[in-house]
Amino acid sequence: MSNERKLSFGAFRDLPIARKLLITILVTLTVALMLSAAGILIADSVLFKGYLQLDYSTLGQIVAENSTAPLAFNDPKTAAETLAALRARPHLVSACIYRADANLFASYIRPTESSRCASVLPHSGEEIAGGDVSISRPIMLTGRPIGTLILRYDLNEIAERRILYGATVLGVLLASSIIAVLLSARLRGIIAMPIAQLVTATTAVADTADYTIRVEKISADELGSLVDRFNEMLSVIQSRDDHLRTALRDREAALGEAEKVRERFHFMAESMPQKIFTADRQGKVDYRNRQWTDFSGFSFETVDDLGWAQLMHSDDLEESVLKWEHSIATGQPFHAQHRLRRADGVYRWHLSRALAMRDANGNILMWIGSSTDIHEQKEKEDELRRANDDLQQFAYSASHDLQEPIRNVAVYSEIIARRYYNVLDSDGRKFLGFLTEGGRRLGTLIDDLLAYTRAGAVEGPLGAVNAAAVLEQTLASLAEAIRESNAIVTTDPLPDVYVGEAHLQQLFQNLIGNALKYRTEDPPRIHIHASNQGTAWRFAVRDNGIGIDPQYKENIFGVFKRLHRDQKYGGTGIGLAICQRVVERYGGRIWVESAPGKGATFYFTLPHPAHRVRSTATDTAAR
Amino acid sequence: MDSVNPLRTSPRISWTRRARSYSIVVLLCITGLFYQAIAAEEQSLEYQVKAAFLLNFTKFTEWPRSVFADANAPFSICVVGVDPFGSALDQIIRGEVIGGHRLAIQRIKRGTRPQTCQVVFIGKTEKDAGRILADLGPGVLTVGEGDSFLQEGGMISFVIENRRTRFDVNPTTAENAGLKLSSRLLSVARTVKH
Repeated sequence: MSNERKLSFGAFRDLPIARKLLITILVTLTVALMLSAAGILIADSVLFKGYLQLDYSTLGQIVAENSTAPLAFNDPKTAAETLAALRARPHLVSACIYRADANLFASYIRPTESSRCASVLPHSGEEIAGGDVSISRPIMLTGRPIGTLILRYDLNEIAERRILYGATVLGVLLASSIIAVLLSARLRGIIAMPIAQLVTATTAVADTADYTIRVEKISADELGSLVDRFNEMLSVIQSRDDHLRTALRDREAALGEAEKVRERFHFMAESMPQKIFTADRQGKVDYRNRQWTDFSGFSFETVDDLGWAQLMHSDDLEESVLKWEHSIATGQPFHAQHRLRRADGVYRWHLSRALAMRDANGNILMWIGSSTDIHEQKEKEDELRRANDDLQQFAYSASHDLQEPIRNVAVYSEIIARRYYNVLDSDGRKFLGFLTEGGRRLGTLIDDLLAYTRAGAVEGPLGAVNAAAVLEQTLASLAEAIRESNAIVTTDPLPDVYVGEAHLQQLFQNLIGNALKYRTEDPPRIHIHASNQGTAWRFAVRDNGIGIDPQYKENIFGVFKRLHRDQKYGGTGIGLAICQRVVERYGGRIWVESAPGKGATFYFTLPHPAHRVRSTATDTAAR
Repeated sequence: MDSVNPLRTSPRISWTRRARSYSIVVLLCITGLFYQAIAAEEQSLEYQVKAAFLLNFTKFTEWPRSVFADANAPFSICVVGVDPFGSALDQIIRGEVIGGHRLAIQRIKRGTRPQTCQVVFIGKTEKDAGRILADLGPGVLTVGEGDSFLQEGGMISFVIENRRTRFDVNPTTAENAGLKLSSRLLSVARTVKH
């Protein structure tokens, strides 16, 4: 039962709206009419029974009144005539008048009725027999009962009224159904039509993707606003569609452009002698040029599978991978040297670099890298370094070995001067003076040479050195010269730096020594300052000395380069060369800014350890 | 009456002649006696009905208030001359009250002028009804017997029709006497004269 109902409801749900409206109207109409008809019928049945009772009671009263005289004067004929007027009441079955002695006096029987009045007054007043109702009325004359009237009527009138009502309801139902059907045709125009239009429009839009379609607004109700919203939605979709098409076109154009750029890049990459590769922003290599595959003997895919590990010398692998990962993580340029295995199994030194390509917002798009075969260069460097090492070793041992005989020369010329001064003539004394002076200068020269060779020497692991403390030591060792020249040395706060303490001391010693040495008539004023340049500390040593002609500002750092040959400014010409060697050993730079008579400022930089390019004596030597 | 239909007795005659001839004699005798008894009975029955009618007339008639001497005065039905009712009239009015007045019967001797009567009945034995009627004042309902009573100036007259007691009415006379007869009374009258 409930299934059937569900089914019928489901069937209703799928009906067209116009049909739904019609059915809804008809059902509502029928239910309303039926309910009101039922209500009216029930109310009427109750009321009408009462009404009938009252009506017949009144009728009985009238008949009784009219029957008093015939009864009083024993005139049944007149009484019968009076009763005969009751023919007008078709539902009155019978009217019987009984005398006071209970005998039948006069009667009226409906023509169609076959029964008669009982000849003797029956007992009890009102009773229903076979669907009929009897009412009894006493006939009174001046307060005395002189007889009894019994009226009997049937209740067919109620049934008749019911039939009449039913017929009326059916008639109204039929008429209103016809009107509803006619109305629904109009309603179809008002409600179903716009919906049908919407359906047609949506179907058309879905089929043709034509978003210029619009639905005509017929009414200003919900359907009207639905149509409005639908049209708005369509125009939004239309504009989005336009945008999408434009964007797609642009994107296709851009893709074409990008493809062109890529082709150009690949063409360039293929034509280059270097091994070129690109990687995505995660660092995964996605392109290698032909030079790579030719060199390694592996196809791109194989190389990609093998990765760096299979191609790179195991001694260089870890450092290179760390550097690559660091670059990918930070976006800083990649720079590494490593040995890569050629197809014939020979490892060759390569310099690999990679730079991140960024978009306008600085986001990394890709990495472009190259590996250059520097094997020959590297071998020459090695040769050069070996030669340099040999030379340095030679210079060191030579100067070291020379110290002994020079010291002997100095010692014994002094002994001669002391013991045999009187024996020597004036020429002998002069020559001895030259010998002593020469020996002394040779000693200084040898010392400076030793210092110079040491400046390039590799020391142990570097700790933090407090520059202020080193400066203080330096000033202490220079105390004599400072006092003699009445110099004023000032300093700003100095940082901790990661260099060899002896090297820093050499720097200060030479630069401050020079400032004291190349002074004017005024007492020297020397100021030491340090500032952080981001990747390095820059130290400045400023003086108010004689200054340097800018044309010599490069030359002064060469070994044995001296601007002043006169005796006023003594020296071996190695001091600034030592300074340069020390600074370059740490990847820094030294230069001077000056003008004659304006004093000079010597600058040198000491890069922070993280930014220190691995620079050894080799680099310096290679220059 | 219907039972003496000779056709119904004829089969019995065929049974025995003697029995038939005796039966006829006996039946004739019984019938004669019966007739006499019934005539007397009918006489008394007729006046019982008339007594009842007489009382009922008072209930369909309106008297002016002025006819009563005072509120306690009785409502008098006067029978002039020979009283044909016997005790019937007395029996029927016992306990009856008209408009708050007790009913009373007065029997008036012939030649006496009826006074303080609301109803006067003149029986058919009185030959000079016209003179009696002429003496009566207003406010008296006059009831008599016979077809000529109304012509003599009476208001209601008993008549026998088909052996049933009925009455004729002359409402004009009543009206002239200041009385109003109910239309219902008129509706059951045999004839209404004007």
